[in-house]
Amino acid sequence: MLPLEGIRVISFGTGAVIPDFAKILGEFGAEVIKIEAREFPDFMRTIDPDINRVAGFNESNRNKRSFGVNLKTEKGREIVRQLIKMSDIVGENFRGGVMRSLGLDYESVRQIKPDIIYISSQGFGGAGPYSHYETYGPMVSAASGMLSIWAHPDDPYPVGSNSPIPDHLASKFAVVAALAALDFRRQTGKGQFIDMAQTEVAAALIGEVYLDYAVNKRIQRPMGNRSPYAAPHGCYRCKGEDQWCAITVFSNEEWQRLCNAIGNPPWTKDPKFADILGRLSNADELDRLLEEWTSSREANEVMKVLQQAGVAAGVVQRAPDAIDDPQLRWRGAIMELDHPVAGKRLYPGIPFKLSGIPPLRSTPAPLLGQHTEEICRELLGMSPPEIKSLKEEGVLQTAT
Amino acid sequence: MSNTQERALGGYRILDLADSMVALCTKLLADLGADVIKVERPEGDPMRRIPPFVDDVPHHEKGLFFLYRNTNKRGITLNLESSEGKAIFRELVKAVDVVVENWPPGYMASLGLDYSLLRQINPKLIMASITEFGQTGPYKDWKGSNLVDFAMSGVMITSGFSGKTPCLLPGVPAYDSACVVAAISILIALYSRSSTGEGQYIDTSVHESSRVGLYPWSVPYYSYALTEGGPPPMPETRMGASIFPVYPCKDGFIRVVALTPKQWDALVRALGSPQVLLLPDWQSFLYRIANAEDLYALMLEFTMKYTMAELLEAGHREGVPIAPIYDLASFANSPQTKAREFFVEVDHPVAGKALYPGSPYRWTETPPTIRRPAPCLGQHNEDIYCGELGLSKDDLAALRRAGVL
Repeated sequence: MLPLEGIRVISFGTGAVIPDFAKILGEFGAEVIKIEAREFPDFMRTIDPDINRVAGFNESNRNKRSFGVNLKTEKGREIVRQLIKMSDIVGENFRGGVMRSLGLDYESVRQIKPDIIYISSQGFGGAGPYSHYETYGPMVSAASGMLSIWAHPDDPYPVGSNSPIPDHLASKFAVVAALAALDFRRQTGKGQFIDMAQTEVAAALIGEVYLDYAVNKRIQRPMGNRSPYAAPHGCYRCKGEDQWCAITVFSNEEWQRLCNAIGNPPWTKDPKFADILGRLSNADELDRLLEEWTSSREANEVMKVLQQAGVAAGVVQRAPDAIDDPQLRWRGAIMELDHPVAGKRLYPGIPFKLSGIPPLRSTPAPLLGQHTEEICRELLGMSPPEIKSLKEEGVLQTAT
Repeated sequence: MSNTQERALGGYRILDLADSMVALCTKLLADLGADVIKVERPEGDPMRRIPPFVDDVPHHEKGLFFLYRNTNKRGITLNLESSEGKAIFRELVKAVDVVVENWPPGYMASLGLDYSLLRQINPKLIMASITEFGQTGPYKDWKGSNLVDFAMSGVMITSGFSGKTPCLLPGVPAYDSACVVAAISILIALYSRSSTGEGQYIDTSVHESSRVGLYPWSVPYYSYALTEGGPPPMPETRMGASIFPVYPCKDGFIRVVALTPKQWDALVRALGSPQVLLLPDWQSFLYRIANAEDLYALMLEFTMKYTMAELLEAGHREGVPIAPIYDLASFANSPQTKAREFFVEVDHPVAGKALYPGSPYRWTETPPTIRRPAPCLGQHNEDIYCGELGLSKDDLAALRRAGVL
């Protein structure tokens, strides 16, 4: 039996945080029902012309059934309330205030399901003057201070990355919260409401930087790839177009190993590089010299030569590098799923490796409304004519 | 200490052997109420000595990285390589729910303290190992570091300006990814144990976890772009500046998320509907990405007319997400942060009082709190060794002299 078998989750998620949160609970065996509708879609479905063929959506919504219901109708909301009554966890990350306007906020839900565990996650949090602001991951890094130090010292301004960091860490914080709340409910019978601010998750990831501000009144500036206590510590250009390998050297012992691995060229004997203080104060020159060595070699070769010598080095990986990475293959860190519309595609595997539970599996993301009818039949006891008429009224939606 | 009933994880005790690179794992659990005992080697967790420090004076009780990531934990010292140390550790293991460690694969076994032996002492024990590449596999003995792990996560190639060197995210993001994966695994194991009565072993890899923690969409995007018989997709590159553009304004910078045509129209309205932005071509997200530099030059004139706060409001009014790029002081002092009382005062016996980032969530029944500061080196030796294991103060002194504590 999987650990969360018997736990039912109602997910109102959109974007990354709550969809990824519910995906993980599903991975552990919870039954996850995603509430969605064509008028009210998860925004990730809409970034491509085909709502069922979006890579990011189909990754974040594995392990769920889709229940197509129009929340703008009272009948639709009543059906959702019935589902919540037989559920354990509700997750939502709509713009602040949306769930209240639907009559599905925590205060309303606890009237019908007193021990519900209800997790809300807005960008700025569900309380406070900015709680109603629509936010996306890339804005969260900006509004949390994280982006202000995520740059090279000579960049004109910080730009972050293509990834909506910290969304996929915030989703895991939410899972930690849900599991702790579930354990507390198991012992006490009490549910609760958890309001998670994604900006605060981002700030918590750089807590020592905030402590530096609080204690030393220092507003840190971007350091790029430099470390205050290690050199070389950087990302070095390798042979080919936009190919890189990261290399870090902390101790003198590691420095010696690096020198040996690259064949002890004369510059490595320069006394100014002999200790950490010397390497730090001559870091620019050191980086340039080391890059002379890396730039004529493949990134993969640089990584292997250095790792064999006991120096931390890693290719700046792209997706194909990950797919070919022997260690990731060994761990099953990339998996294939056959999605009804998108076909056989690759996704990250399941990183939770526990010795005492059955192997975790994943099911492909649902089509919008794919499971509406079976949920109506199995959980709500509706008859086929009833379902048909609710469909015709525009309350329920199915995939076909 | 507050009533355990008010803490979600108040009934659990965790022995944490890990150094502070992965201290977030047990910090998350300690902040939710678990009794975490940090076990340090006699000379202390090496992360005590990484900068910055209080007043910039290097001191093992004043490292901010250590202080932040070890709140709510008690601290003891123990030399696991000595036979007395091992014996004491085995005693401790009898009364704990979870052991967390991040030594290289094989080290715990070389001490005779691997999971198969520890579970003979305590069959309900859960043990989580967090290592760079995992316990087994071709790279299991490879070296990692914050930067190397970030490079291998798949996100670094997309981080920074196109054409420039890929850029590290602040903090220790790859380690944090492993920490949340390990914390989730531990909670699942505890939950399972309530019905099975048995513990289990957890093998968490930083390399593997960083992908799902930071950029799980990278592999799917690539895979979806592959067509049978077609050319391979364009190699991934650094597009932050064109996908989520940053513009200067009167008093700083803003970041805009305009993905849909509706959001773009709202952005144009927020900037006062200038004629030059009304050209229909600009409505297309892909057109904007392809012409990002031209658009940037056009936008400047308009964004520069407003402050960050004005643009945040205008975006909210018109329906396009616009975020201020706060520096650290602006976030710490923003009305939202103040209203949520995110920063909380913590008083440490050596480092003094300071405002620490608190918990990122508010709970109605079991609110997370900071109940105690990070431990001083060996601060709770007497509490644990005398108070709980029943050693005398003389025993303690002898063990200290022998280098066991």
